[in-house]
Amino acid sequence: MTKPLNRRRFLQTSAATGLAAGIAPSIAHAQDPLGIALVVPSPVGEVGWSHALAMGLEPIKAEYGDSVNITILENIPEGPDADRIMNKVVADGAKFLLAGSFGYQNGAMQIARRNPDVTVLHASGFMVAPNFSPFAAKYFQGTYLMGMAAAALSKTGKLGSVSAFAIPELITSINAFTLGAQSVNPDIEVSVVWVNSWFDPAQEQDAAKALLAQDCDVIFSNAQDTPSVVSVCEEAGAYVFNLNSSMKKNAPTKYLGCVETDWSPFFMESVKGHLDGTFEGRNAFLGVEDNVVKVVDWNPDIPAETKAKIDEVEAAIADGSFHPFTGRIVKQDETVGVEDGETLPDEAIVSMDWHVAGVTTPLPN
Amino acid sequence: MGIRMIRRTTASRRMAVLAPMGALALAIVLNFLLYIVMGNDPAAVFYALLLEPFVSWSSFSEVLLKMTPLLLIAQGLAIGFRAKVINIGAEGQFILGAIFASAIPVWFPQATGGWIWPLMLLLGGVGGALWAALPAFWRVRLNASEILVTLMMSLIAGQLLAYLLVGPWKDPMGFNFPQTVMFQWDAMVPTLIPGTRVNVALILALLWTALAYVYMQKSFQGYQLVVGGLAPHATAYAGFSEGRAVWLSLLIGGFAAGLAGAAEVAGPMGQLQRGIASGYGYAAIIVAYLGGLHPVGILFSSLFMAALYIGGDNAMVSAGLPVAAVRVFQGSLLCCYLAAIVLVRYRLVRDGQEVTA
Repeated sequence: MTKPLNRRRFLQTSAATGLAAGIAPSIAHAQDPLGIALVVPSPVGEVGWSHALAMGLEPIKAEYGDSVNITILENIPEGPDADRIMNKVVADGAKFLLAGSFGYQNGAMQIARRNPDVTVLHASGFMVAPNFSPFAAKYFQGTYLMGMAAAALSKTGKLGSVSAFAIPELITSINAFTLGAQSVNPDIEVSVVWVNSWFDPAQEQDAAKALLAQDCDVIFSNAQDTPSVVSVCEEAGAYVFNLNSSMKKNAPTKYLGCVETDWSPFFMESVKGHLDGTFEGRNAFLGVEDNVVKVVDWNPDIPAETKAKIDEVEAAIADGSFHPFTGRIVKQDETVGVEDGETLPDEAIVSMDWHVAGVTTPLPN
Repeated sequence: MGIRMIRRTTASRRMAVLAPMGALALAIVLNFLLYIVMGNDPAAVFYALLLEPFVSWSSFSEVLLKMTPLLLIAQGLAIGFRAKVINIGAEGQFILGAIFASAIPVWFPQATGGWIWPLMLLLGGVGGALWAALPAFWRVRLNASEILVTLMMSLIAGQLLAYLLVGPWKDPMGFNFPQTVMFQWDAMVPTLIPGTRVNVALILALLWTALAYVYMQKSFQGYQLVVGGLAPHATAYAGFSEGRAVWLSLLIGGFAAGLAGAAEVAGPMGQLQRGIASGYGYAAIIVAYLGGLHPVGILFSSLFMAALYIGGDNAMVSAGLPVAAVRVFQGSLLCCYLAAIVLVRYRLVRDGQEVTA
């Protein structure tokens, strides 16, 4: 685990802001604990998306102790139930709401509008308000690095991805994975199976088996909240990686690594902003440079020279000298996606609806 | 030595009222122990679970909102269940109702006028009935089990919904997320009380209940359905058609479920998204049986189930109960209730003991 690094980072910043902000927040602490509520669509469990969000609150618990009161509401279906529960938790006194799924957007935004004293962070959305920040991870930075490793290990030159929904976030992950792989082997091909679910073990397994049957020998489990794909690949002897939290114990020998999300730096910064009254809603698109995206549990089978190159690229992404979506990038339909030397702006990345050349499966439409 | 169950010749009316109370008390005791072990404050949990849904108008209005689809669907299903036509595919009929109703705001997002939401509700009912007509046709013509077919049609409905949401009906401005546009104002069912989400569909559900009561308890056709369920051969001799019972049961059940789906998508949801398939169609089966398949009983059982759902959410929010413990409470309460009901209708007799009526 890379927790200590983070912890150090936030202790530094928190010490600084804590001193600077002076006595005001501590008075607030003494009066009433800050009610923080996290609403997530699946069980928190031990792995996956909801788990990563819940873990992001741990350092806040450690830092603020009794002056925050954290409630985690798991397995809340998107729609009327989520709206009711979010309203209830705010009516009960929570002032800091974490809406952990895209489908909560409309309900969460209404709450933010009606309650200017409530701060809302919303996962994967696009709406912004003074007290409402959408947040998303630049998974594509990590999947680019994974693509490099995958291409070095693949014998068939065919990679596969079991993916949830054809939304921009997942499309960019696949595209960057492909580009990373092409940087090592220009002829590599990537096939995608869209299962249209975040959480469907049986379908995920079938999809993984279908890809393996097509000679794909490295599989990317894209936004799947169960270890199904990972386990199937271990059995079949194909390398596999996933997002959010490590599933190494489900594939002890064939686990390529994990593109981990550590939300705590962002959550910490936002809670601090709320307490200081300095919070400003923004579109938080967070990556390696924010210590939110990190690749962990690299497989020792990756050749040393490839690994060295990966480390180099990772450092370049962190300091901003390299961006995975830098031209020239050709689209699947052979038109130019990004001109030579240009870099795709964030707005184009968060609304990406095309695949790069090398992805063989057309986008569902 | 064994124990047998003997059906009571007359079930005590007093016991029929006391049994649910006893079941509730037993469930509370069992879960009380669970909360002690888990380290939760039982008083806070039970307050949130059982009382909080009723103490404020805002939370009671949510109970009524949740009760609406359960009441509509369960009344429709109960008619079929009493005729022994077992439609367990209300979930699919509910989804089809939501899809049919959504067609108007999706295809005509600019349309305005007070006629839009009533037409959507009507379309929803028609959609649900059409989805139920297929199993009815197969049952009557090919003798295919309606239990199996209605269930499988629900799975197909889920796939159809997924296809529409990732394909032709996807919101063009919605970043490829699987959902339609937000509906325009006129495509929303009007709310009854300002500041709450209870809408006109509740009135429809209550009217539907009254209709179901008159139909099942007072009309000749309803009588035919019930008798046909109790004694199919006798009714066949009397010239009643089994095929007609199947058609009536499934069309009524499908219409009610479709109407509920339309009211949900045009009510609290406001757009078609995957969350529409949230299990009302299955929960309504429990509601129908809890209510003894009687229109008045179902009125109470739907209120009870809705309160249990809202209370469960409250327990998570205000008493910090994990979702699994909420489900344990709901499940154990239903089990205790069903056991109590069995004991009201049957008595336990030791083998060898003389049976006296």
